[in-house]
Amino acid sequence: MEKLIRIDNLHKSYYDGDSELKVLKGLNLDVHKSEILTIMGASGVGKSTLLHLIGTLDRPTEGSIFYEDQDITALSEIELSRFRNNAIGFVFQFHQLLAEFTALENVAMGGYIKYSKYSGSLNGKTQSLREVYEKAEHLLNSVGLSERLTHFPSQLSGGERQRVAIARALINQPKVILADEPTGNIDDKTSEAVLDVLQDINERLNQTFIIVTHDSRISERAKRTVHMVDGKIEE
Amino acid sequence: MKFEWFVASRYLQSRRKQSFISIISIISIVGVSLGVATVILVIAVLDGVEHGLRDRFLANEAHIVLRMIDHSFFGNYQDRIEQITEIDGVVAASPVVYSQMGVFQTGSEGITDTIYIKGIDLTQEEKVTGFSQYVNGSIDFQTSPLIAEAELREQETITGGIVLGSRLAQRHGLTRGDVLRLVVKLVEDPGGFGSPMLLVDFSNFVVIGVYESELAVYDNRIGFIDYKTAQKLYSQVGKVNVLLVRLEDAETVSELSPVIEETAFSFMEMPITTTWLETHSALFAALKMEKMATVIIEALIILVAAFNIASTLIMTVMEKTRDVGTLRTLGATRGNIMRIFIIQGSVIGMLGTIAGTVLGLGLCWLLSTNILRPSPWIAIAVIGILILCQTIITFRRLIPTSKALKIGMVFFWTLTVCFVLYCLVKPISLKELGFSEIYQMNQLPIRVNWFFVGFINLLSFLICWLATIYPAWQASNLNPIEALQYE
Repeated sequence: MEKLIRIDNLHKSYYDGDSELKVLKGLNLDVHKSEILTIMGASGVGKSTLLHLIGTLDRPTEGSIFYEDQDITALSEIELSRFRNNAIGFVFQFHQLLAEFTALENVAMGGYIKYSKYSGSLNGKTQSLREVYEKAEHLLNSVGLSERLTHFPSQLSGGERQRVAIARALINQPKVILADEPTGNIDDKTSEAVLDVLQDINERLNQTFIIVTHDSRISERAKRTVHMVDGKIEE
Repeated sequence: MKFEWFVASRYLQSRRKQSFISIISIISIVGVSLGVATVILVIAVLDGVEHGLRDRFLANEAHIVLRMIDHSFFGNYQDRIEQITEIDGVVAASPVVYSQMGVFQTGSEGITDTIYIKGIDLTQEEKVTGFSQYVNGSIDFQTSPLIAEAELREQETITGGIVLGSRLAQRHGLTRGDVLRLVVKLVEDPGGFGSPMLLVDFSNFVVIGVYESELAVYDNRIGFIDYKTAQKLYSQVGKVNVLLVRLEDAETVSELSPVIEETAFSFMEMPITTTWLETHSALFAALKMEKMATVIIEALIILVAAFNIASTLIMTVMEKTRDVGTLRTLGATRGNIMRIFIIQGSVIGMLGTIAGTVLGLGLCWLLSTNILRPSPWIAIAVIGILILCQTIITFRRLIPTSKALKIGMVFFWTLTVCFVLYCLVKPISLKELGFSEIYQMNQLPIRVNWFFVGFINLLSFLICWLATIYPAWQASNLNPIEALQYE
């Protein structure tokens, strides 16, 4: 299978005064295109830290992360923002929707940033703001929320919010969607519905997912599951 | 619309149920607007006072006063006047016999008051100070019928007519036709026994008119007589002790006064020239100082309002910390985040400045416009009814949900406030408050200085903009991971 992400000898330490807390200790991992990869492990083992590093929200202490042979650890702050906007989608445990914006606006936000900040260029093709909204509407339709376009997050249920978050992650056709405990804050029935959506997107769009979870139901649906122990991957 | 504007405008509106931030935004806007309105109003009043006094001084006074260093009399004044009037920029010049005399009131045993007497040449004085327009009564110092009547009535010799300052006349209970006995000078009598005695040289004048310039300094202490009479009283026929000059442009005094002095007098005569600016320099300097101090104090008011904006933004940043984290994950840069909060604060500052300017200018207009206004009771009734309606609406939760209705409500409230201000704010009479003597004018003067309005707008906006920098920088520096986990 074609490699999308290659992680080489990744180290991450946090410092509190003179004391050093080593979270990741020479982690190596490959992520393939179109796969659903779940990362499991005990609490505090560094799963979320790894996800943040892959998501370019933090920088490693040592080691490299390659996206299709591009070393993202060498990118500047602004280049990283652009990279996040273009190549990465995030889904969090607590949906992290913007309360002042409707479901449609929340989904369109990443596209709006791209349109406004990066001249709206999507895979070399310039898109207008209207196209961004049309796409956001289409994504919301595809996750079953066509009736909820103008609703604010406070007017949506937990499962609906998470589906909006998934649609939001898809707006700029990212290379990978990083999900941190996507079912951690919703009931079992709703979790199943959300997982159905994830699986559907993966199959329909060949979308790559990296999911950090404790939920064994997700790993059952994943194409590959890795376990983290003591800051390293055990496949 | 740029993404930053889109987010910032939504944060200003705050659609959430807890409309905490948006209420604070309104309070911030009101804070800035009150600051700006106060500055505009106070400076308009100070400017009004300065220009009011200046206009009055310029209307009543000569622009340049020429005299000898020892206040002595000098001749050839007609020749000197001709020479002066030939200078470019000079409108007219007039001779004056300026002196101080004592008031000897009937029934009293001595001098009860001293007043300044200005002996004037009516024709020339008219060109220099526009004397007659301030006189109520006659200005015919020699042939007024009142003189003959008084002579007949009092059986005394009358030297001539006098026009008295209105407050001076009032203070001594004098009206037109009354006789005023003035002590012109004290003469030493060498023929007495022992030490020489001082004899009082009286002259009787009939009050033929009252001079009302609304400048207390004149209305309180001055009387006008014919200059030839004054020359005779001081035995200085053919001489005067002051020349007054009026210029086309009062602002050219500094350039023209040395030219006039050199043209009319020789260096040996040791003349002294005093311009209107020098005469009132202390007053204008004090006013300038007052204005400067006021601007500083008022700028501090705007600064306080700007701190209000800063605290509003800091609270917004705290409330939106998770949003900042989310936006960073979506690809927003630190610059984007900073601009969102700068825009939010700047919009508050701009709205506050515009509202303050409109309010300030509106108050200036209301305070300077004398038109018939509805009774204040109507205003109180209107505002009372409106507050009652609003209370019922609020308690019954009949809050309008549509945007059009909300805008309508705001428009209705604005109109009501305008109407109430229209009813309540009117020109302030300094005369009624008893301040007219202090401020030399009857009504609180208002003069809008448009340059200053522009300046204060810029200053206010700049201060508000600067106030946004720190909170915006704080927001842009949030660690996206910590921001996402912020509780």
